[in-house]
Amino acid sequence: MADMSYLDLLMAQQEEVSEAEGGGGGIWVVADVVNGAVAPVTLEALGAARTLAGALGAYVYGVVLGEGVADLSATLYQAGADGVRVVDHPALAQFALEPYLKVLSDLFEAEKPEVILFGATPAGQELAARLAQRIGGGLIEHVTSASLDESTRTVQGAFPIYGGEYFEVVACPEARPQFLTIEPGAFSAPFLDPYRKGEPKMLEVEPGEPAVHVVGPAGGFEPLTVPLAQAPVIVAAGRQAGDFELVKQLAARLGAQVAGDRGARDAGWIGAEQIVDVRGVTVAPQVYVAVGIRGDTFHNAAMEGARFIVAIHPDPAAPIFQVADLCLEAEPKDVLPALLEALE
Amino acid sequence: MDFTFSPEHVALRRMIREFAETEIAPIAAEFDREHKVPHDVLRKLGQIGLLGVCFPQEYGGMGAGEAGYCILMEELGRVCTSTATNVGAHIGIGAMAIHLDGSEEQKRKYLVPLARGEKMAAFGLTESNAGSDAANIRTRAVREGDSWILDGGKVYITNGGYAQIITVMAVTDPALGARGGVTAFIVETDWPGFKVAREEDKMGIRGTSTAELVFEELRVPHENVLGKVGEGFVTFMRSLDMGRLTLGAAGLGGAQAALEWSVRWAKTRKQFGAELALKQSVQWMIANLATEIEALRSMVYRVAWMVDNHQPFAQLAAMCKMYGSEVASRAIDVALQIHGGLGYTRDFPIERAFRDARIAEIFEGTNEIQRIVIATNIFRDYGVRIRA
Amino acid sequence: MPNIIVLIGRVLDPSGIVFNRRAGRLFVNREEYLLQPADRCALEAALRIKEAGRLKGGPDAQVVALPRTLLPDDDVLRQAVATGADRAIYLAGQVANVDDALMARALAVVVERLGGADLVLTGATTLDTGQGQLGPRLAEALGWPQIVDAWHVEAVDGRVRAVRKEKDGFVAVEADLPAVVTVLPGVLKPRYPDGARLINVYRGVKEMANALERWDVADLMEAQALKPLIERRGQEFPPERERGARVSGTPAQMAQTVAEALGQRVRR
Repeated sequence: MADMSYLDLLMAQQEEVSEAEGGGGGIWVVADVVNGAVAPVTLEALGAARTLAGALGAYVYGVVLGEGVADLSATLYQAGADGVRVVDHPALAQFALEPYLKVLSDLFEAEKPEVILFGATPAGQELAARLAQRIGGGLIEHVTSASLDESTRTVQGAFPIYGGEYFEVVACPEARPQFLTIEPGAFSAPFLDPYRKGEPKMLEVEPGEPAVHVVGPAGGFEPLTVPLAQAPVIVAAGRQAGDFELVKQLAARLGAQVAGDRGARDAGWIGAEQIVDVRGVTVAPQVYVAVGIRGDTFHNAAMEGARFIVAIHPDPAAPIFQVADLCLEAEPKDVLPALLEALE
Repeated sequence: MDFTFSPEHVALRRMIREFAETEIAPIAAEFDREHKVPHDVLRKLGQIGLLGVCFPQEYGGMGAGEAGYCILMEELGRVCTSTATNVGAHIGIGAMAIHLDGSEEQKRKYLVPLARGEKMAAFGLTESNAGSDAANIRTRAVREGDSWILDGGKVYITNGGYAQIITVMAVTDPALGARGGVTAFIVETDWPGFKVAREEDKMGIRGTSTAELVFEELRVPHENVLGKVGEGFVTFMRSLDMGRLTLGAAGLGGAQAALEWSVRWAKTRKQFGAELALKQSVQWMIANLATEIEALRSMVYRVAWMVDNHQPFAQLAAMCKMYGSEVASRAIDVALQIHGGLGYTRDFPIERAFRDARIAEIFEGTNEIQRIVIATNIFRDYGVRIRA
Repeated sequence: MPNIIVLIGRVLDPSGIVFNRRAGRLFVNREEYLLQPADRCALEAALRIKEAGRLKGGPDAQVVALPRTLLPDDDVLRQAVATGADRAIYLAGQVANVDDALMARALAVVVERLGGADLVLTGATTLDTGQGQLGPRLAEALGWPQIVDAWHVEAVDGRVRAVRKEKDGFVAVEADLPAVVTVLPGVLKPRYPDGARLINVYRGVKEMANALERWDVADLMEAQALKPLIERRGQEFPPERERGARVSGTPAQMAQTVAEALGQRVRR
C-alpha cells in the first residue's frame, strides 16, 4: 500500500504544458466534434502531428470550434497538443462553412502554421479545400501515411489510388501552410496521457453568416441499393456458420451486405441471388468475411478478387484458407460473439 | 491504307459497348429463358438513334454509314444474339429496302419513323416452298384499281410478330417469274387482311419473334409499291447483300465474346495444380480462335469501307456472312469445350450462345447459297458462267 | 453568358490496368479512358436543370463543359457535347503536374471571360485519386457559395436547392445563385449521347461545327502564375498479399486481431 501511494505521488506531478511565446509555425490540427466529444480521427491526426513535430522540432496546436466545447481542450492536451485554441460561439454550434472558414482563416493568417491537419470527414474536406484556396496552400486529401522531407520541411503524404490498389505520394514543397486531410483509421490514436494538461486560449470572434441554409428534411430519397457484385464489404455464411443471426449482426455492424455459398442457400439463410459462386454472383469487395464457408473451387473463384479476406472455419484443411488473408481455425460460434464485442 | 477507325466510329463503339454492357448483358438470359422480345431494349436503342444508325440524318437516321452499322451489330452480337437479330432484321433488311429503293414520299412516311425507332420493320420473303429457292414464292398480288390485293403467306419472318411495317415480296406476273414478275410492297401490319398466324418455338435466338404471316385479301395501295412493279427481285437481292455483311459483324461479336469467356475461364480454372491457361492444348485453341477473329474483323470492316465508298461488295459480303457464321460457331464450340461441364449447364451463358450461334449458318441465305454466290462471282470474273 | 458550367475529367479504365505489387508498379495493358463517373452525373444534373427550364433562359439555358485538368486532347469535351452540352472549351497548354490549385485559378479566369455563370457543377470525387478539392477551390476562387456531395440538384427561383445525405437522413439545403455544387457518383443515371449528335460532334459538322472552342491556358494567366503547388514524389505499393496467415490465440484474442484489421479497412 505504501508503494502505491508513493507511486501516486510521483505520477500526480502534473505536466503543465505551456507554449513558447512568439509563436508562428507549428503543426495545427483542426478538431472534428462528434456528439459532444473529440472525434477519433482528430486524435489520430494529433498522433500524426506529434510524430511530424518531433522530426521538425515544431509545436503541435489544436483548434476546436463549436458551442460549449471549451472542455474538449483537455482531450487535445492529453493527446499531445502543446497549445489549444477554443472558439466557443453559438453561431458555430453546427458546422457551417462560411462562419468556420472566417474564424480559421483569421486565426491562420495570424498564426502562420507550417502544416494544418484536418480529419478527412465531409466537413473537414470542405473546410480544408476552401481554406487552402483562400490562404494559398497545397492540399493533400485522404492521407493514409505521411513522412517528412526534413531538408525542405515538407510533409510527403500518401493517399490511395483506385480505392487502394496503390498509393500516390505527393508533397507541397514551397507553398505554406501545407494542408492535409487525414483518413480515419489510417493513423493510430496516441496514448491519452491524463496528466498532460494545459490552459487553452479562448478566442473572441465574429463568425459571419453561412451562405447555405438547411431547408428541412428531404423526402423520397433512399440510400442506394448496391448490387452484390459491387458491394464494398460482404459477410458471407456457409454451412458451418452456426447461428446465422450472428452473421447478420456482423454484417450490420460492418455496414456489409449478406451473402453465402450454396450451403447457406440450402439452409434457407440466403436467396439464390446472394450465392457467391461462379455459377451465381462473382464479387470483388474491399473486404470479404467468410463465416463457416469451406471454400470449394466454384465459391473461391467467385471471390478471389476481394482485396482483403477473413475466413473462419473449424477445419484446418478447408480450401478457403488458401485464399484468405486472415485465417481463423475456429468455430464461428466461438469467435463471432467476441468479434461483435471487439467491434464496439 | 489507313486501318484506323475514324474518331466518330471510335466514339460510337464506346457508347454502344457501354449501352450493351449496362442495359442488355445483365438481362440477356431472361429473353432466352422467357422467350420474349426485348422491347424495352429496342425502345432505348431507338431513343438514342441507333435503330437508324446507317441511314442519312435527313431521314431521321444517324449517318454513321455501314461501318457504324457493323459496329452496332458487333457490339450487340457480343452480348446478346437475340437483340442483334431483332435489330438486324429491322435495319438491315426491313428498313434497308425502303432506304435503297423507296421514293421520297415513301422515305418520309416510312423510313423516318423506322430510323427513329418509333416503328419496327421486318422483311417478308421466305415461304414454305421458297427458302433458298427464293424465286419460288407463291404469294400473289393482283392489281385492282389503285391498289393491289395480296393473298398468300410467309414463314420464318424475323420480327414478324410485332413489326408495324413489313416489306413483302409478292408475285405480280407468274409468267415472268423472278425476272420481272416479283414486286416489293410496303405493308402496314394493322391493315385488314394481315394476320400473324403463329410464332415458331426455336432452338436458339429465343428472344426474337419468328412468325408465320398470312395475307387474306390484303389491300395495299399502289403508292406502297417499293421500286418499280416487277423489279422486286432486284430490291430484295440488294437488301440481302447489305444485310449479309452485318451478319458477319454480329458473328464477329459473338466470336469475340466466346474468346473473352474462354480466356477468363482459362485464367480462373485450376486443374492438376495449374490454370488451364498454362496447358498448351488450351493455348492453341485460343490462338486459333483469336486468329480467325482477327481475319474476320479485317474482312468485315474492309467490306464496310467498300460499301461506304460505293465499291462493289456483293461477293465479299457473302464471304463475310459465310465466314462470320462459321467462325462464330467454331468459337462457341471452343468456349464450350474449355468451360467443360460448367459450360453445358444453364448457369453459364455458353449454352445459350451455342444455341444462338447455329442459326447464322442457315438464315439470311444459307452458307451453301453464299458459296454459290461467291463461286459464281469468281468464275464470272474469269469469263465462265456457272449459274443458269 | 452560360447558365451552367460543368467541369469534366477523365480517368484510365482500371480494368485495363494491372497493379503489380511485386514489381511495385502498374502496367497499362489497355489504355482506355472513361469520363469521371461523378462528372458524368454532374453533367446529367446540369442537363436536367436546363430541361426543367427554371434558370434564366428557360429551356434554352446554355450548358458549357470545361475540362477538370489540362488534357492532351479534346475527346472528353466532345463526349460532353455529344451527351448534350451546348458548348465546350478545350484548354490547350503544357504544364507539368497540373494540380487542382492551379486549375481552380485558371477556371476562375475562364468563367470570368465567359461573362460569369449561374451555376458550376462538377463531380464530388474522382475515381482514381479520390480527391474532391477542385469544386471548393473553384468556389473560393469565384467567391461563390458551395454545396458538396449532392444527391440531387435543382434550380429554384434564383437559388439552387440540393439534397445531401446526413447521418440521420436526407436534408435539403439551399444557396443563392451563383453557386458551385459537387455531385456524388452513382446517384443520377447519366444519359447516353444522342447518336446523330455524337457523329456530328466528332465530324465537326452541321450544328456541332462551332460547339467546341480552343483556348490557350497561357492566355489566361501570367507564366509565373502557371505553377502547381503539389509535386509528385512517387508511388507506394501495398505489400504483397500473404494468403493463409493463421491467427492464433483464444477466440477473444483472435477476435481482437480481426477487429483491428477490419477497423482499418471498413468505414462505418
